Amino acid sequence: MTLTTERVDSVVEALRGVLRDDQILTSKTDRWNRARVPAPFPVHRWAERLPDLAVLPETTEDVAAVVRIANELLVPVVPRDGGTGLTDGAVPLRGGIVVDVKRMNAIHEIDVLNRTCTVGTGINMLKLNEELAKHGLIYPDDPASYPCSLVGGRIGTSGWSLIGARYGHTRDLVLSFDHVLPTGEVLHVGDGIGHKITKSSSGYQLKHLFMGHQGTLGIATRATLKLFPKPEAELSPFWAFDNYDDAYACAGDLARAGVATFAGAVLFDEAKVAYLRRDDEAYIPQPADVRALVCAVMYGYEDEVRPAGRRLLRIARSHGGRYLGDEISEGDWAARHDRYATPLHGRTKAGQVVPMSWHCEDAAINFTDLPAVSREWHEIVAALRRQSDVFDDWGMFAYTSSDNGTDWLTEIDVGIWEQQLDDHAWALWVQAKRDLAAVSLKYHGSISACHGSCREGEVDLVPQELGRGFDVMLDLKRTLDPRNIMNPGKYHLDRAYS
Amino acid sequence: MSMTESGTEPDLRASDERTQEFVAEWRNASYNCFSSGHKFCREVCPVMQVTRNESWTPTAFHANVVAMERGDLEVADIAADYVNCTQCGACELRCPNTLFTGDFYRFRTRTVDVVKAVRALAVETGIHQPQWQTWNERTDERTHEPVLGAVEVSQEHVRDWAADLDLPIGGESILFVDCEAAFYRTSVPRAVAQILQAAGYEFGLMAEQWCCGGPAAEMGYVDQARRFAEHNLADWRAAGAKRVLVLDPHDYITFTEDYPKYFGADFDIEVVLVVELLAEFIRDGVLTPSIPVERTITYHDPCRLNKRKGIWKEPREILRAIPGLTFHDVDRVTQWSYCSGGGGGLPIEKPELTAAISADRVARAAALEVDTLVSACPWSERPLREAGAAQSIDVVDIHELLAESLGITVGGSRGS
Repeated sequence: MTLTTERVDSVVEALRGVLRDDQILTSKTDRWNRARVPAPFPVHRWAERLPDLAVLPETTEDVAAVVRIANELLVPVVPRDGGTGLTDGAVPLRGGIVVDVKRMNAIHEIDVLNRTCTVGTGINMLKLNEELAKHGLIYPDDPASYPCSLVGGRIGTSGWSLIGARYGHTRDLVLSFDHVLPTGEVLHVGDGIGHKITKSSSGYQLKHLFMGHQGTLGIATRATLKLFPKPEAELSPFWAFDNYDDAYACAGDLARAGVATFAGAVLFDEAKVAYLRRDDEAYIPQPADVRALVCAVMYGYEDEVRPAGRRLLRIARSHGGRYLGDEISEGDWAARHDRYATPLHGRTKAGQVVPMSWHCEDAAINFTDLPAVSREWHEIVAALRRQSDVFDDWGMFAYTSSDNGTDWLTEIDVGIWEQQLDDHAWALWVQAKRDLAAVSLKYHGSISACHGSCREGEVDLVPQELGRGFDVMLDLKRTLDPRNIMNPGKYHLDRAYS
Repeated sequence: MSMTESGTEPDLRASDERTQEFVAEWRNASYNCFSSGHKFCREVCPVMQVTRNESWTPTAFHANVVAMERGDLEVADIAADYVNCTQCGACELRCPNTLFTGDFYRFRTRTVDVVKAVRALAVETGIHQPQWQTWNERTDERTHEPVLGAVEVSQEHVRDWAADLDLPIGGESILFVDCEAAFYRTSVPRAVAQILQAAGYEFGLMAEQWCCGGPAAEMGYVDQARRFAEHNLADWRAAGAKRVLVLDPHDYITFTEDYPKYFGADFDIEVVLVVELLAEFIRDGVLTPSIPVERTITYHDPCRLNKRKGIWKEPREILRAIPGLTFHDVDRVTQWSYCSGGGGGLPIEKPELTAAISADRVARAAALEVDTLVSACPWSERPLREAGAAQSIDVVDIHELLAESLGITVGGSRGS
């Protein structure tokens, strides 16, 4: 908590001029339950991340009014949407006001002919798609957190979608949005004039600047999204391999094939399959010679997907892939897609089962560098595990990011025994995150394709990754947020003010 | 369990012995949620859907327990938040932890139990929610819930609904009628009793029926709940009962989950859900609904049947056997996020939230262009009926509908 009781009282008093009492939350539970995201953090340090209060705005004007007050009173503002991110964007580092946008979840318009909808950013994609389905449409932004993450968080983190190879990622699917700047001014941003325009050559391309900033440049409040016909058919074949190299080669060929309905491929490495076999109750056991897996998914009309499937099956067969059958393919894709594939336990080095939660570190890596990065990442986690039983290597996935196989979201899953995550173990973990990020940069990859890079550890390497671009970030931050009230403490942006 | 070289036993810093006992019992259940933090539960939660307040989510209900273990929160800090739950169980079903291990080990995240336990701890600690306190005091005085408001309920009137039906007292099979149905929606027990009579099924009523005690247990008044359970069990035993027929899903939860916990192996009473029994009668040809009922309906899966007990087939069997109905069904999984808002004591303490949840449920029915919403839970029918009136949607109990198709003139009151 950064504010004195008297300061909180004066902030609340000012907020009462623009919000109803039921939109201003100051109780302990209101604050404790807006201090966390799913990423592991030592439980004993929970109190370090409490906001002083939270607000539940219902309109863009509400948000703008709150931000203006915060700017005037020099109180930190932390935007919170789903709170499902893994890089602490929604976590207050210096107290202040959490602006929780969940009440801004209205569907303002569904424009069937122009294939767009306009929504409040507090809406969840699954809930939105329940309504769009009535029109035969879909908004295909599909992260692992699909049932719970919100459109605004997807904008603030510039999210990655499992089926992005077919439909694009959040940056492609969000056409424009209303955005409250750190000064409380409201900006409409998109391509050129924004609104329902998908491509403009007019002016700077500002939309990307206001996506993926992890709440440091303001708060998106209302967004216009790009819609597609709801796919008639889904095909998600899984293939088994007796070694990683063949699986890797196959995954690359699948992604490079240029099949129009191809929505993504996933490569499970040998450590992942070993882990699933060891500890995942939902894993359907395969013969011991199955050591790596590949899956692909296609979406479209049935008369597109069937021949596309035959082509991908041919490619997989040529690499020695064994099709696992319809039941496992459909079931396992549903499991990877609709649920988080996370048992609640891992093991100590002695083999003792212990309660662990899942965490993953990700990067964007070119196809040709995947094997080397995988090898070095496993070595880092193995070293971590040698030092502490708090950590367990749960293997790696690689997912296509693009529709042509250029770069892959590379992810190492680490089980963390959070109940035992003391300061020493936490320090080990933070250093391991730095080491993982350093490997990504060594291979000319990006620190994160998906989760963001503003968390303790990897954030230290962001200036190195962006080079002169990081100085531009500092200049922009200082210009747009002159009093450093918007999500302060993130991304080393304090350097803009020193 | 071995410990890490760097690990230490958790520092149980909760402020008092009772709270320490509480967190020792619930810390692992809550930690499973806390450490995962997925929040898949959030958008299916009926309270969350109408409040959009993250403090009142299943995730928060678990996280608070973890904070209590650290000594960061006390029961006084959290008790009022736990009002905001209908105990519908949707969150448990949507939890990835339930789904993953549930497929194989039937592990289910225990949010409803955590909510009940926090409420019980609050009452035990002397922290009362004002409306719940009054409600339970009056229930204790009257042996029935005060479902008629200013009009007093009492033992003398608990069988009034059956005045002209010539039902015996006692016997091997006892029909238990919940407070809402016995005093408010009397058409439901009248329909059930007359259908059972038409099927030739012998049953009787209790000599002295008290409230099942379930609502008291849901609101945290566990001692009272236990006393009521003991009375009812003694009444059944005195009557020579071998089984209890239940028409209300809330009673069904109480008798199949709470009573066995209270009485252990001594609880040897078979609990029969009437809607399952009637589906069996239709299947076996004992009952054949033949009079067309010209309505366009959809079915509301009562939370305690669908989400808590996995019972969704039998009501649909019954509805499909009734001629004349046009049935626009919504699958049971979609209905995980539907609720009437009538459970868990919510309408007593926060009627405005119940009304908002019911309005949402009825709006979903209205989108199907039906004229009737059929439920199988008397407690859902009052809030749904109130919300339905605004949309010109009639809310009917499945037993009432079946009775009509069997040519029974039900009588009684559908509430007013």
